[in-house]
Amino acid sequence: MTPEPVGAIGALPIEQMANMLFAATEEVFTSMLGVEIQKSAEPAPEQVGSFDGVIALIGLTGPVVGNGALMCSAEAACAMSSLLLSAELSNVDEQVLDALGEITNMIVGGFKNLLETHTGRLQMGIPSVIYGKNIATRDSKANVVVTAGCAFPGGKLDLKIHLAAARR
Amino acid sequence: MDSDDVVTTDGKENMSTEPPNLLIVDDSTAIRKILLRVLHQTGLPLGTVLEASDGREALKQMEGQNISLILSDINMPNMDGLELLRALRGSPLWHDLPVVMITTEGGQAQVQEAIELGATAYVRKPFSADLLRDKLATLLSK
Repeated sequence: MTPEPVGAIGALPIEQMANMLFAATEEVFTSMLGVEIQKSAEPAPEQVGSFDGVIALIGLTGPVVGNGALMCSAEAACAMSSLLLSAELSNVDEQVLDALGEITNMIVGGFKNLLETHTGRLQMGIPSVIYGKNIATRDSKANVVVTAGCAFPGGKLDLKIHLAAARR
Repeated sequence: MDSDDVVTTDGKENMSTEPPNLLIVDDSTAIRKILLRVLHQTGLPLGTVLEASDGREALKQMEGQNISLILSDINMPNMDGLELLRALRGSPLWHDLPVVMITTEGGQAQVQEAIELGATAYVRKPFSADLLRDKLATLLSK
């Protein structure tokens, strides 16, 4: 997607924001999950077709508005949650959904902290986590979509940040 | 913020010889479990460790309890961590209680706001368990 001017981040290259998103993700995995991550194929800016697995979403508001999303398979969700909680979790249950929400909260929060140096203060909502099959998503009204694909020893995850200018 | 992402102000010394009772406030059960584990890893004697999922529930949990330290998130539904801190500092009973904010909110403005409201320490998530353990051990052994 070609970036359009979005308030204070209009001059910020997408690639720089993608690096910020990867750095925030890397910090969470290193500090809280105890594993390294690598960059993998970036997800398409817009979801094509349906999706099976877990999606965690958290809203952003302030000079720019939007949301951050983490998407992964059920297996990867269990692997991440097991690492976070030092437990063996093999089914997507309330514990795994809660852990995925918190991992997303920390990743999007880390990205937000970096973005705030360009935009001014932003606020985050609280995470919502969805698990299912044939999930169709539509990314509406986002002027900027920042993506990062990551691989860790337990699987892969895709991250997306959708941003739009705040209404005056 | 300093390099280890922990900001500390002067906390009141805990003069009691009883093992301290603590309260963990976070809407994520995962984080509450992790903090509980870190607390036990300090090796210090602990009394009761209560848990609450938001500020409102925290205030209810504290009724009739002798709490020595609170670990609190900021972003929570119903009553967030800064509102909880404001309520505690306005209470004659709890205005000196050490409160450690543990949160993803890492911007200088947020840290400043929490410190001005009377937070004893500020730890940014994601955190190093070793660093947090050392910080909590220091606070609990005072």
